[in-house]
Amino acid sequence: MASEEKRAEILKNLSEGVVEYDEDRVKEYSNIALDEKMDAYDAIMNGLAAGMEIVGDLYDRQEYFVPEILMCADALYAGLDILKPHLKIDDASGVKGQVVIGTVQGDVHDIGKNLIKMMFDVGGFTVHDLGRDVPLEKFAEEQLKTDSEIVALSAMMTTTMMGMKKVIAMIKEKNPDVAIMLGGAPVTKDVANLFGADGYAESAGNAVQEAIKMIGQLRKLKEDGVPA
Amino acid sequence: MAAMTPKERVKKFMKREPVDTMPIFSGMGMVTVQAINKMGIRFAEVHGSPDYLAKSATLSADIFGFDSVIVPYDMCTIPEAMGRGCSTYANAEGILYPTVPTKWENLDAADINPDWASKARMPVVEEALKKLVSEGKYGVGGWVLGPFTLGGQVIELDLLLKGIKKEADKVQAFMKKMTSVVIDVAKRYQSLGVDYMTIREMGSGTDLLSPRMWKQLIQPYLREIFEALESPKVLHICGGTDLIVEMMNDCGADALSFDQKNNLVETRKKIGNDVILLGNFDPYGTLCQKEASEVPAIIKGCIDAGVDAVWPGCDIWPDVKPENVEAWVNTVRELGKQPSPAVGRL
Repeated sequence: MASEEKRAEILKNLSEGVVEYDEDRVKEYSNIALDEKMDAYDAIMNGLAAGMEIVGDLYDRQEYFVPEILMCADALYAGLDILKPHLKIDDASGVKGQVVIGTVQGDVHDIGKNLIKMMFDVGGFTVHDLGRDVPLEKFAEEQLKTDSEIVALSAMMTTTMMGMKKVIAMIKEKNPDVAIMLGGAPVTKDVANLFGADGYAESAGNAVQEAIKMIGQLRKLKEDGVPA
Repeated sequence: MAAMTPKERVKKFMKREPVDTMPIFSGMGMVTVQAINKMGIRFAEVHGSPDYLAKSATLSADIFGFDSVIVPYDMCTIPEAMGRGCSTYANAEGILYPTVPTKWENLDAADINPDWASKARMPVVEEALKKLVSEGKYGVGGWVLGPFTLGGQVIELDLLLKGIKKEADKVQAFMKKMTSVVIDVAKRYQSLGVDYMTIREMGSGTDLLSPRMWKQLIQPYLREIFEALESPKVLHICGGTDLIVEMMNDCGADALSFDQKNNLVETRKKIGNDVILLGNFDPYGTLCQKEASEVPAIIKGCIDAGVDAVWPGCDIWPDVKPENVEAWVNTVRELGKQPSPAVGRL
């Protein structure tokens, strides 16, 4: 078990490594965390995810833009790849949900989708990533097959956004309890409401903000001892 | 005095010469399902035929009273000619625009075939433009993606974005290649007689890039492009643009076009009254979602904010409500008789 002092050092380096998109540093301290028998969930949520929250603040202050966020995400994944296999079963911790995610047919842009996927990965979800340019019926099929609680759809262009409406109708018809999240530059709150979605993020930057907010909520729930 | 023809109106407007009224046109796609349906074809078919492209553009203008026509409608013509392929979704329901299915794996792999300009649908587009120019009824617009946005079609955008920080030299070399392609295509279209040329550097707004990065990575290449092209030439960027307006105005375009995220009032103050300002209604919201009764206020808002012509912020979604397009056209016809900041009236 790592001492409090060592734990603080590890968390600081994981967080700073993410913020400074320093993959090597994140890998090094992820391995140190394991060597020190530190709880992997603690390292993920209070090191990597905490760093990503700072990244969100930097984005809000327009100090970071999407290139920086993408590199921070790479650093986060570098640590997640090392730490995630060591999560305890009961620790996957706050959440044990499943999500189907992809960009809709006709859209080959997936930056926003990948950032949202990162949030689910960090949060401990099982992510079924269908990729991009996904035929509409595939979302409903995959949701039924996996019994996922969430389906997250992304479209970067107005010209592909309409496909989301069809997907939502297909899924809600078979399983009205599935939560559907929409994302992408053309998606507004009005569009999300009109299409019958349960949540939305309007751009890659906004997606990461939303993702980071959700990570923050997960961390808070965990700290407060409230089951997520 | 007799009213100008649509073509005269657009040509004069783009030269900042007095016109009879504000032209109704765009530098981005204006095809409508009403035209496609009247032709008895499916949307997926229109992109591969010069006749279909020209006819659908002209019919859309005929039906709604546009002053110009513009082709092509999709962004894959150049990537396809470079060998990246094209998904047309021939069997998909409804309207789906073609996409590029394969991308170069990394910046080093971007190897452009020397005869790309004669490949795939490049001759189709050129033939369609020739037809539209020769018809002579409407102003004819041409457009090409800017080098960064074109690059994002042929290589993974995240590679490009991360490469800016990690492999700056390679990204700059890649941008040079794309710039050369953009100039080549735009010059070819201009040589066919288009009345205005829009460079759509859509993906470079501050949603993605910092203003500092924009100055370093985008502006030098746009300057090179606008220096190489004849007037009239328009620069269009989508998304966040308020922080880069002055830099956009320093690229050498005759006109600037923005989408609905731009604060046009502030932009007009920044660029003054010697530059044509175009924008900026939300095309999907205004023409497909709103009630027709809500459209005049949106159009008036653009005019009051200081535009010289009311352009949609992007391609119009073809499945427009006809009454909404009519409301756009009628409002411009009514309010557009007054001079705008950069263009006078007869």
